[in-house]
Amino acid sequence: MKNLTDVEIIESVKKGNQADYAVLIDRYKNKAFTMLKRMLKNDFDAEEVLMDCFLKAYNSINTFKFESKFSTWFYRIVYNTALTKLSSTKRKIEIEMSSIDDLHYLESKYLADDFIKADNSLLIKKIVNELPPKNAAVISMFYLEELSTEEISDVLQISVTNVKVILHRSRNLLRELIEKKNLAQEIL
Amino acid sequence: MKNINDELLNKYLDEELNREEMNQVKTAIENSPELKKKYEALLSVNTFLKSVESDLPSADFTKKVMGKIKTRKASELQQKYFLFTILSLLGLIVCGITVYVFYEIIISIQASESSDLVSNYSNTIGDYFSSFFGKKNLSIFGSVLSFIMLVSGYFLYDYQKHSKKSFGH
Repeated sequence: MKNLTDVEIIESVKKGNQADYAVLIDRYKNKAFTMLKRMLKNDFDAEEVLMDCFLKAYNSINTFKFESKFSTWFYRIVYNTALTKLSSTKRKIEIEMSSIDDLHYLESKYLADDFIKADNSLLIKKIVNELPPKNAAVISMFYLEELSTEEISDVLQISVTNVKVILHRSRNLLRELIEKKNLAQEIL
Repeated sequence: MKNINDELLNKYLDEELNREEMNQVKTAIENSPELKKKYEALLSVNTFLKSVESDLPSADFTKKVMGKIKTRKASELQQKYFLFTILSLLGLIVCGITVYVFYEIIISIQASESSDLVSNYSNTIGDYFSSFFGKKNLSIFGSVLSFIMLVSGYFLYDYQKHSKKSFGH
């Protein structure tokens, strides 16, 4: 069963084999959880939203027409549900507006901190977990789920150019921090 | 040679440039120690991001989701049974009324000794329905049906609310 493709599993679930849906859950839960954790900055919320996403996907599985990959369809549910969760605590417009400011904030925070002495991988991991929701989603989908920029644009409902801008901006932030940290280490 | 900015460096990393541009950036990186440092930092970020492993939800996550799906399916089935029961009850009431009406008609036909059976039939049916759906009876009949509908509507709403609540937790 685990070797079956997403399409085969979905067809089986549509035929009434409810238990096969567990294979899809096992296949996507870890990566989707990581993306949610990075977006929501909270383990508990991430798991709660993820559960909601799998239930939503199950309830709508009969409407899935195989026009896109299941992963694209599912991550769209995940992203939109996370945004809904975020907007319940913070207005959505604030989330959108804060993206650029948050990057500057992270840059100053991590350079001001004594992270200069920290390990590069640890530093990157910490910063990735603090990226603004949209940047975190793009980084997760690009690196963890290995979705193409076209697929990510389909999930986020934004242009491919915008996806690349977000991806490059996030990578540049991390790169600048690494560069400055290395420079500071050299001086020290 | 154009200025190698961050954008171009990112595109070079993702191999999104044409062959000529790729060669230009490659040469620029090789010739500039500053650009080389920048690219190496970007490369290390890229390598690290690729190597990061996923976080894990709780161990029984799949079991929990499947449990919720099963619960929901069961509650949907119960809801169907509930609706079926209500509709059957209403159907039985309608059937009972119809049988009663016909029984009364037959009794009245047998009582009258008319030879014109067809006209008698139609007259009696007409009389019976006009008396049954007359002002007084109609309001009673309507009230009873409305009452049944209201009661079943309330129970249905309450049941749905309950099942939704139990599904959410």
